[in-house]
Amino acid sequence: MIWDSNQEPGIRKLIDDFTAKTGIRAEIQVVNWDNYWTLLSAGAEGGALPDVFWMHSNESQRYMSNNLLLDLTQRIKASTEVDPENYPADILGLYTYNGKYYAVPKDIDTIALWYNKKLFDEAGVAYPTADWTWDDAYEAAKKLTKADGSVYGYANVNTNNQAGWYNQIFDNGGYVISDDKKKSGMDDPKTIEGMQFMAKLINENLMPSPQVMTETGEDVLLESGKVAMTTQGSWMLAAFRDNEYTMANCDVAPLPKNAKTGRRVSIYNGLGWVVSAKTSRPDDAWKLVEYFGSKDAQLKQAQLGITMSAYKGTSNAWKNSVPQFNLQAYLDMQNDMVIRPYSRNTVKWENAINDCMLKAWTKELTMEEACKEAARQMNAILAEE
Amino acid sequence: MKQQNLRHTTTRNAFFWGWVLILPTMVGLVILNIYPMIKTVYQSFCKTGDFGRGNIFIGTANYAKVFSDPVVWQATLNTFKYMIVEVPFSVIIALFFAVLLNKNIMGKSIYRTIFFLPMVAAPAAIAMVWRWLFNSQFGLINNVFHISTHWISDPSIAVYSIALIGIWSDIGYNMILFLAGLQEVPREYYEASSIDGTNGFQKFHYITVPMISPTIFFVLVTRIIAAMQVFDLIYMIMDRSNPALSKTQSLVYLFYQYSFVQKNFGYGSTIVVLLLMFIMVITVFQMFAQKKWVHYN
Repeated sequence: MIWDSNQEPGIRKLIDDFTAKTGIRAEIQVVNWDNYWTLLSAGAEGGALPDVFWMHSNESQRYMSNNLLLDLTQRIKASTEVDPENYPADILGLYTYNGKYYAVPKDIDTIALWYNKKLFDEAGVAYPTADWTWDDAYEAAKKLTKADGSVYGYANVNTNNQAGWYNQIFDNGGYVISDDKKKSGMDDPKTIEGMQFMAKLINENLMPSPQVMTETGEDVLLESGKVAMTTQGSWMLAAFRDNEYTMANCDVAPLPKNAKTGRRVSIYNGLGWVVSAKTSRPDDAWKLVEYFGSKDAQLKQAQLGITMSAYKGTSNAWKNSVPQFNLQAYLDMQNDMVIRPYSRNTVKWENAINDCMLKAWTKELTMEEACKEAARQMNAILAEE
Repeated sequence: MKQQNLRHTTTRNAFFWGWVLILPTMVGLVILNIYPMIKTVYQSFCKTGDFGRGNIFIGTANYAKVFSDPVVWQATLNTFKYMIVEVPFSVIIALFFAVLLNKNIMGKSIYRTIFFLPMVAAPAAIAMVWRWLFNSQFGLINNVFHISTHWISDPSIAVYSIALIGIWSDIGYNMILFLAGLQEVPREYYEASSIDGTNGFQKFHYITVPMISPTIFFVLVTRIIAAMQVFDLIYMIMDRSNPALSKTQSLVYLFYQYSFVQKNFGYGSTIVVLLLMFIMVITVFQMFAQKKWVHYN
């Protein structure tokens, strides 16, 4: 079971290859992100998890500690295809519990800035370069936003934190959750300062209203020429590649850096393929997961432009999969990465923070008030963990 | 003597078979309705851990929290707003069309089919189509009438937009029930009143409505109960990032959030019990009121 319908065709191809090799057939089920975890946990309680599914840092702790995942340590040791050396240690760490491995890493992802060349040309603004700071982005957004509201300079919906405003927080030296997972960093002065970029965009109406951004996704807004810039994760490549408008008019640049600290952070994360502890076919499921983690499949995943594969050394294949886009930007973002903030009950406090951010987006609260309220709620939730 | 024995056997037989035939329904009712209901009420007095493991009894703490929670009271208000708009409109419009379609006009069957179609369509499909219709940038409504209303993201009108969808989908069902009720009204009454010189509206007011008041009563009770439980429309049309969500989410939506998304089964169960209380009060009130306006023969 997976949650990204953009990745489905590519994964389907990988499964077909696997079936050709081994004769074992597998079916994909796509459940979108908003419902994935609810459905999965309902299945977990009822004892009916899918055999193989995606795991994410938000939830991995809970699933591992509740013995819902098959322990893959022995199988990985015995395997010739999957060697822990070949994957980033951080990603493997997300899916390790009590020294045991529970997943085969699938991919890594970084964030970059997508922009609409046509709109930039019309407004006479120079394209984003690697030297851009967030202030440059703000100035450009001002010039690109049209007075009649037909075009906005930037778009970032309040719930898009990983590929959006989290990056500005860390650029400025702020943080979201402390390393010991006990305290929220949302009220740290550096965090609040980092969020001022979004505050300026909101207060000066350089982004579509939150009403519009909730009804229509940022990617759709980019694809229909309504916004000139938006930050998106590397997993969106397939969607932008398959859309005619973005193929013709858009390109990608590295995220702007912070003018004061010079940091250019990308939040990153990596998914893992896991097997249910109660699957009726553990050997077949392992074979599938092993295949997904093997060099061939990881290389193919990159070539098909599905995502940046976790296997070291496959990045170039991904970069070359769509030469029309400057995908080197995503690779460059790997120089300064921060793992996506998580804890045992990530979803609970993430939802709380996003709801507070919504109030800032609708100008009900100032950004500073929203951040402080978010920290208050998050600390209450962390105390219960 | 023998006759008495026979009667004994027959009644015993009838008794036995009676029970056998209602057993499937009874089993289903107990397992799927009654047991979960008792369990839910019990759950409202507990706090749960991961994946439903580890229930800890905490007494009425959940209830204390619920009564002082502004989110819950806003959701109650939202649910009432939805119900107050959806039920009367869907009943009145359905009654109007039922009366019209009761006459022998041409194409009557086609009209009845068209009106009933929304009931047959899958709720998910309905939600998706209306979500597109209501989209403020690319939706059909805003583009055809050249307006830019934020139907489902403006906090003050979103709940009424959802009610609109509810009205649209319920008209068919209500209409079928009213048509059935209208068939029961004897034609002689109308003929007699025509002789006395009544017009269409008077016929409706003095004959039709009182004669089908049991049907209207039934529709009102069931529709109010269903409207208080609205969830799927809100869930499928409005995302978490929607500014209008806090002014639109219903009690069942809150229950889903707390129980299934946040895994706080105890609090979710409390909200559901609260909803149950509301519905019971309204229904009891309706039962008493029926003596005033419902005419049974």
